[in-house]
Amino acid sequence: MAYPVDVETGVVRLGPAAKAWRAAVVLVLTGLFCAGSLVGDDHWWPFSPWRMFSTSQAPTGTVWSTGIEVQTADAPGKWVPAPLTPGNTGLNRAEIEGRVPQIQADPSRLGTLARSHSELRPASAAWTALRVVRRQVVVVDSKPTGEVRAEVLAQWTAP
Amino acid sequence: MDRAVNRLWAWLFTPMPLARVATLRLLVLAFVVVDVLGLHTSGWYHGWADPVWYEPLVMGKVLHLPAATVLLVQVLKWGCVAAALAAMTGRAPRVLGWTVAVGWVWYQYVAFSYGKVDHDRADFVVALALLPTVGLAHLTDRRRSEAAGLALRAVQLAAVATYFLSAWAKVRFGGWDWVNSATMVRAVVRRGTPWAQWLLEVPWTLHAFQWVLFTAELTSPVIFLLSERWRRRVVAAWFVFHAMTYAAITIAFWPHLVMMLAFLPLEQYAACVRARLHGRPGRRGGAPPGGGGSEGDPGRHERSGAAVGTAG
Repeated sequence: MAYPVDVETGVVRLGPAAKAWRAAVVLVLTGLFCAGSLVGDDHWWPFSPWRMFSTSQAPTGTVWSTGIEVQTADAPGKWVPAPLTPGNTGLNRAEIEGRVPQIQADPSRLGTLARSHSELRPASAAWTALRVVRRQVVVVDSKPTGEVRAEVLAQWTAP
Repeated sequence: MDRAVNRLWAWLFTPMPLARVATLRLLVLAFVVVDVLGLHTSGWYHGWADPVWYEPLVMGKVLHLPAATVLLVQVLKWGCVAAALAAMTGRAPRVLGWTVAVGWVWYQYVAFSYGKVDHDRADFVVALALLPTVGLAHLTDRRRSEAAGLALRAVQLAAVATYFLSAWAKVRFGGWDWVNSATMVRAVVRRGTPWAQWLLEVPWTLHAFQWVLFTAELTSPVIFLLSERWRRRVVAAWFVFHAMTYAAITIAFWPHLVMMLAFLPLEQYAACVRARLHGRPGRRGGAPPGGGGSEGDPGRHERSGAAVGTAG
């Protein structure tokens, strides 16, 4: 496999078979990427469609973003926003946003976030209750009006 | 028809400098280390997430990949780092290169199988899979090779496909109306940086930006028809676009940025850096005198210019 050492410059050629399998690999990859873009979805990764920022947003409507609020043993009864980040809960915001129906069907799932939090951040106060809040920012003609609506989607309290 | 196939074949296997592959490989592997340790760590934290959130992708179903555990993410993280560092020595490029590929892809899989797939990391798989096919390549190698040409071509194609197919995805998921929608407003509302907030006061800027972006993505394959000089300018323009995006909404398609480097005469830059470090002219440092330029003559003129510049 070593290249000839006495040839410093020049062109290293490939044989027909070496070219054929390389071209076949490129062809297969091209086919998979194109198929993923035509009919695939996110589950096809790495051949899923490249859909970053691909959805349309109506110029007038609401832009929503989801977050969590928690209560700790230190301050029972007081809801405070907590970062919905992998380092804090094991999951990120989008992963929770995509699973809102499942969470609403079974709010006890939120308890696993409190458990992950206490494993990841053993030094901080344990969460005794957790709720998912959706903030809706009202947009008119592509401009936020300043109106924000908040809505609690699901709630869990430690047994 | 036959002529078209022959030309495509010749284009795919255009001999390109082995030193360029060696340099790109080094950058790709260094990126893997940085990425795994610092840039993309959601997979790491999934080791602590409850398996109830695990949502296998097609790849996981086919390969029977389990939900993440702390042990699995530790092994993948440090395995990737160790394999990438070993591969950076240039030894056993195929075995080590493909080990990195498997480790990195699996680590991404762990990140993406909890309900959210990032849409910017797929093209990097092509670089990890195909750069090892070139075999041994040294930073000071002066030869060009058809294997190097194919690998670099595949990386270039994947990088451009990212743009072109993301335009297609906008049409598929957002409709032709995407360009007139408030998608960028949404992005800035959701994750805009303080210095991007003024854009919301002047929404036509974001609207116009959508037209520019969509047009640029749709016409991105034109890069393959350009001269060397214009190709560099287009790559620079894309880097400016990505820098602006990062400044506005702190999103950067990091692995894709590394892929875009496959369009540049990296071995010439590397030779300049080496020459400067050693305080001697670039030629002795390995700037390929005859076999360097990938395509066309402009690169050759610029290369000799670079060698003279570093000599002074």
